[in-house]
Amino acid sequence: MSDREAVAAPLAMAEAPPPAGGRGWRLRLILEVRIDMPAWQQALAVGGSIATGLLLSAIILIIAGVPAGDLVSEFANNVFDRQTFQAVLVQAAPLILVGIAAAIGFRARFWNLGLEGQMVWGGIAATAVSIYQIGPEPLRLPVMALFAMLAGMAWVAIPAFLRMRFAVNEIISTLLLNYVATYFLYDLLYGPWKDQSDAYPHSAQFAGAERLPDIGHAFNAALPIALAFVLVVWWFAEFSRYGFYLKFIYANPAMARLVGVPVQRVVWTAVLMSGALAALAGFVIPSGTAGRLTQGFYEGYGFSGVLIAFLARNNAIFAAIVAVLIAMLFVTGQSFQIFYQIPFAMVQMIQAIIVMCVAASEFFIRHRIRLQR
Amino acid sequence: MHDVLISWLANLPALAVPYALASLGLIISERAGVLSLGAEGLMLVGALAGVAAYLSFGGEPLLALLVSMVAAGVVSILFAVLVVLLRVNQVIAGLALVFFCQGMTNLVGTVANWSNRTIAGLHDLPLYPLSELPVVGRVLFTHDIVVYLTIPIFIAVTYFLDRTNAGLRLRSIGESPEAADAAGLNIYLYRFAAVIGGSALVGLAGGYLSVVSAKIWIAGMTSGRGWIAVALVIFARWHPWRALLGALLFGAIEALIPQVAAAGIRVPQYFMLMTPYLVTLAVMVWQGVRGRIGSDEPAALGQPYVREERT
Repeated sequence: MSDREAVAAPLAMAEAPPPAGGRGWRLRLILEVRIDMPAWQQALAVGGSIATGLLLSAIILIIAGVPAGDLVSEFANNVFDRQTFQAVLVQAAPLILVGIAAAIGFRARFWNLGLEGQMVWGGIAATAVSIYQIGPEPLRLPVMALFAMLAGMAWVAIPAFLRMRFAVNEIISTLLLNYVATYFLYDLLYGPWKDQSDAYPHSAQFAGAERLPDIGHAFNAALPIALAFVLVVWWFAEFSRYGFYLKFIYANPAMARLVGVPVQRVVWTAVLMSGALAALAGFVIPSGTAGRLTQGFYEGYGFSGVLIAFLARNNAIFAAIVAVLIAMLFVTGQSFQIFYQIPFAMVQMIQAIIVMCVAASEFFIRHRIRLQR
Repeated sequence: MHDVLISWLANLPALAVPYALASLGLIISERAGVLSLGAEGLMLVGALAGVAAYLSFGGEPLLALLVSMVAAGVVSILFAVLVVLLRVNQVIAGLALVFFCQGMTNLVGTVANWSNRTIAGLHDLPLYPLSELPVVGRVLFTHDIVVYLTIPIFIAVTYFLDRTNAGLRLRSIGESPEAADAAGLNIYLYRFAAVIGGSALVGLAGGYLSVVSAKIWIAGMTSGRGWIAVALVIFARWHPWRALLGALLFGAIEALIPQVAAAGIRVPQYFMLMTPYLVTLAVMVWQGVRGRIGSDEPAALGQPYVREERT
């Protein structure tokens, strides 16, 4: 018995019509299910599809007016240029956080598409701590992080409660709540929290004690914080009792409930973690990079989080690696925005193309197509 | 007060049309069992394509709307290939489609210089002499042609789904593709057709937003209407006429926002802008309280069809 043994199933729609007047033969596509595919081949398929996605994106960008040579050099800068690489590391921290936030939600079969809304609330809560000077100054940063996480948990609790109590689809409710959170942010930034010194719609600058410190002139403390949470989530998902329960619930929620797994409590824990981690991303951007609450600091992170979790198969360690790659895309996108007036939304498009290519590749991992006479 | 009421009611149909057409399009594809989360993106495609065609083809609004439909239909082929042929998770594919369209329309609109250019758009077509009637004339008979056409489109789609053979087959594929396949129906063909046809209506909704309502293309201008349409379909329990009712509700809310400000009631504007989303949420909760969501949902919604295949 080889692992190549396959169950054949004709794909009806692909049948070619018989040649006119032919006694002859029919050509048809046979779709076979692969029982197994070696891990290295799977990795090759995924890598190949990411490469395909990047190639397609490159073609689109060249059509949009970016010289091909610059495309290559800008992207290579991410790794070879010291300054750009530092920018990538700074950019990676919030992406890692939203990536593991999405992953832990997906592990509980909770489609948390409200990452951006939770980030917004994280940013608002952290800024509130700064504005109202809550807590003594040496403890200001931990208090900001704590408030941010609590706010994110509170915001994600709404769709979670609605789903568990009223069966409201969380895909739609979390997305709708993003708009609500955004408008609340606008209300604050155009209203009471507007910076009095320059009348721009952003909050006043944080004090020195409210900013994440730099570590060795390379990146700020956001990255170690994010990596620490990667370890926490990894341990939680892979080694803790709740992680085991989560796998059970993911595989078969009805059975899990029957054998006495505390489904509600486990799912709630995972979902609240997801909200807290996303909100933490909403804390590290104002506190680590921008130095204040700005209007669009969360933009694009929601989908990136979903993409990172999807590509990393909800694994925290992989998510950290994928997030660094996506950070390169972000940094490249920012420089294209400046030098070629390419809208930053291009980064979203490229990510979407990559998702589509990788998702499509799974079909070819699971099936083999043969021509048969 | 009287004037406020009339102008509110007169604005309502034009604001309801995008919701109505988009949710009708979604109903077609979801009745065939394909969960179409991509509506937000396809509306953007329709909106950009409409303005692009208007600017490029000498200002023909109806041609522009046709191009909106075709463009959204063409982009939806990509989605159909992913979910129908390649059996990709429909949530992932739908999300990817939204973000692909958001990025692409933003990029294309900027590069081709179609952004932020006002156009004359489509004018109202008062139905004389009905439009001269007091109150009713302004509320019902002084609109553009798409508003009038929405009702026949709804009748046609309802007739198609409920009264024709093809409609019955389409619904059977959404309920039980195995049985439909055994009966000799081509699942892939019907699902492709449902996705493309439904997406054309979603594209029309988007084109209506840019060509008729806003008369301008701005990146991301649909601002969540596609998601509201997705929720509306659940609220409508996959029935076109209920969707129209829901669309009127949302049109009424959207029409109310400027009226509240005009009437001098001081509500912070950003809180007013939250209302459509909060009402959508409230409607979904209400649906959940009544506990009847599952009963009318197409049984095979969201599941790729795989024939006699074991893994």
